[in-house]
Amino acid sequence: MPSLLSAPDRAAELDAFASTPSGRGKPGRYWKIDLETLVPPPGRSAGSVTIDSKDTRVVACDLQTAQRDHAALFSRAFRTAVQPHQKFAHLALANFGLGAFVYVPPGVAIDEPVVVRYTAAAAESIYPYTVVLVDDGARATVIERLDLAAGAFACGVAEILTGERADVTYASAQLAPADVRVLFTRAARPGRDARVTWANAELGAELSVSEVGVTIDQPGVEAHVATVFFPTGTQHVDILSSIDHRVGDSTSDTLVKSAAAGRGQGRYLGNIRIAAHAQQSNASLRDDALLLSKDAHIDSIPALEIAANDVKAYHGATVGALDEDGLFYMTSRGIERAAAERMIALGFFEPAVDRFPTQALRDELRAVLEEKVSR
Amino acid sequence: MADQGLRIDGLRCSVEGNEILKGIDLVVEPGKVHALMGPNGSGKSTLAFSLAGHPHYDVTGGTASLDGEDLLALSPDKRARAGLFLSFQYPAAVPGVKVPNFLYAARQAVRPGELTPAKFRALLLEKMDVVGMDASFLGRYLNDGFSGGEKKRLEMLQMTVLAPKYAILDETDSGLDVDALKDVGESVTALRASAEGERTGFLIITHYPRILQHITPDVVHVMIDGRIVKTGGPDLANRIEREGYDVIREETRSLA
Repeated sequence: MPSLLSAPDRAAELDAFASTPSGRGKPGRYWKIDLETLVPPPGRSAGSVTIDSKDTRVVACDLQTAQRDHAALFSRAFRTAVQPHQKFAHLALANFGLGAFVYVPPGVAIDEPVVVRYTAAAAESIYPYTVVLVDDGARATVIERLDLAAGAFACGVAEILTGERADVTYASAQLAPADVRVLFTRAARPGRDARVTWANAELGAELSVSEVGVTIDQPGVEAHVATVFFPTGTQHVDILSSIDHRVGDSTSDTLVKSAAAGRGQGRYLGNIRIAAHAQQSNASLRDDALLLSKDAHIDSIPALEIAANDVKAYHGATVGALDEDGLFYMTSRGIERAAAERMIALGFFEPAVDRFPTQALRDELRAVLEEKVSR
Repeated sequence: MADQGLRIDGLRCSVEGNEILKGIDLVVEPGKVHALMGPNGSGKSTLAFSLAGHPHYDVTGGTASLDGEDLLALSPDKRARAGLFLSFQYPAAVPGVKVPNFLYAARQAVRPGELTPAKFRALLLEKMDVVGMDASFLGRYLNDGFSGGEKKRLEMLQMTVLAPKYAILDETDSGLDVDALKDVGESVTALRASAEGERTGFLIITHYPRILQHITPDVVHVMIDGRIVKTGGPDLANRIEREGYDVIREETRSLA
C-alpha cells in the first residue's frame, strides 16, 4: 500500500507548521495560552475512526481504503479547500494517516447523516482528517464526533468540496473532557449554485482552537456557518470564521452564539472578505456573547473587508450579561430566578442550535448547554 | 377571614430617590374588580411594579399583603406563587424561549404538579381560543417580534392559564384596537367564570374608561400625584369620561 503522504511531504508540512503564524491573538490579561509556541505532544499519532453510513450509494470509508479503491475521487477533493496560511492544518498533514472519506455521487440525496467518529485513548494524540466530496446535485449531511479520553490531543482537518447545485451540511460537536486539547481546521469550497452549512459546537476541552471557513469562488453559492461555544471553568476557546467572497452573486450567513462562565475565556474573530469584483455578494455576520460571571471573558472581533461597491453586508454583535428585564418578567410568573437564568441562557443559544442537523444532536447539545449553564 | 384580599396599607415607593407613591391604601377583595384610574405619571404603574417586586422600585413605607401573606418580604417569583399576577404594559421579549415551554414552567411553578404536559397543551389551546390567539403562537419565542396587540393577548393568555388569586392589569388596554379590547374583556370574564378564577380579584389600571365598558368594576379609584384621591362606584369612571381628570384634581385640591 502506498504511503498516504511521503516522508519529505510530511517534513515539509512540519516545517510549514513551525513557520506559519497562527493568525490568532497573543496571550494577554485574560487569555493565557500562546498559540505560536504550542507544541504537540511527542510520540506517534494513534487513534481510530468508525464511519457509519446507511446508504450503499455513498462511499464512506477510511483514508487507506479511499487511497486504494477511490484514488481518483479522493484526489479530486484532498487539499483543495485547506489554505497554506492555516497553521494547524499543516500539523495535521504532517501526521496524516487517520481519517475518513465521504463521497456522494451526482444526484444522490441522503437523508440519514453519515457519522464519522474519531476516538483517542487517554493521553493519545490523534490527527483526524475528513474529506467530503459531494458531487453535482447531490445532498448529504455529515456529523463528526470526537471521543477523546483524558489528556488526549487532537489536531484535525475537515475539508468539503462540492460539485454544482450540491447541498452539504457538516456538523461537529466537541464535548471533550476538561484536560483535552483540540485544534481543528474546517474548510469548504462549494461549486456553482451549491450550498454548504457548517454547524460547530465547541463545548469541551481545556483548549479548543478552530477555524471554519468557506471559499466562494463560484457564483450562486450559499454558505452558512453556525457556531456555538461556551468556555466554563478554566476552558479557553478560540474560534476563527472566514468567509471569502471571491466571486459575486453569492450569499453567506454567519451566526455565532457564545457564552462564558467561571473563568472561561473565549475569543472570536469573524472575517468576511468581499473581493473587488465580487459584486452582488450578500454577507451577514451575527455574533452574540453572553457573560455569566465576572471572571469570564469573551473577545469578539468582527472584521469585514469589503472591496466591492454593489453588495449587502450586515454585521451585528452584542456582548452582555443576562437581560434583567427578561429575568424580572419570567420571575414575575413564578419561575425561580436560577431557573429563569437557565431558560434565558439556553434560549440565547437556540437560534444557533436550531441549525444543527437531527433532533437527537440538537437535544444532546441543549442538555450539555443546560449542564454548563447550571454549573 | 379578616385578612383576605390584596391589602395595601400606607404604601410609599421611590424610584431613584424620587417618591412616587405617597401612601396608598387599597384593598382588593377576592372576586371583586377594582379599577385604578388616573392621568399619566400619577404612579399607577409604580404601584403595579412595587407590588410585583421589581428591583428598581424602592418601597420606603407601608405594607402589602396577599390573603394575609406579607408580599413585600417575598422575591418576585414567590409573590407569583403566592397568587399575584401582573399583566405588563411592556412585556419583555425572551428570544429562544418558546411560548408553551415558558407557560408550562410558569404553570408548574404557580400550581405544581397539577397538569401533565398533554393536559397542559389541551388547556393552552382552549385558553388561546378565549384570548384570540391561533396555534402558530406555540412555535414562537416569548414576545419576540410580537406586535403590541399580540403581547397583550399573550399577557391575557398567561393570566387565564395561571389563574392567579389577584391579577393586576397595568394598562393592558393601551394601544389596543376595538377587537383586541373586547378580547381582553372576554379574557377577564372567562377567568371569572372558571372554577379556578371565580374568586380572582382584579386591579385594572387604566388611563381611559373604555376598557370598563367590557369589564364592569365594583369599585373605581382615582390616583393623582401618588395618592388615591377619590373612590367610588362605576359611575366615577363615567364621570371621568365626561369631565376628565382635571375636574377631580380641582375638587380634591379644594377639599384639601
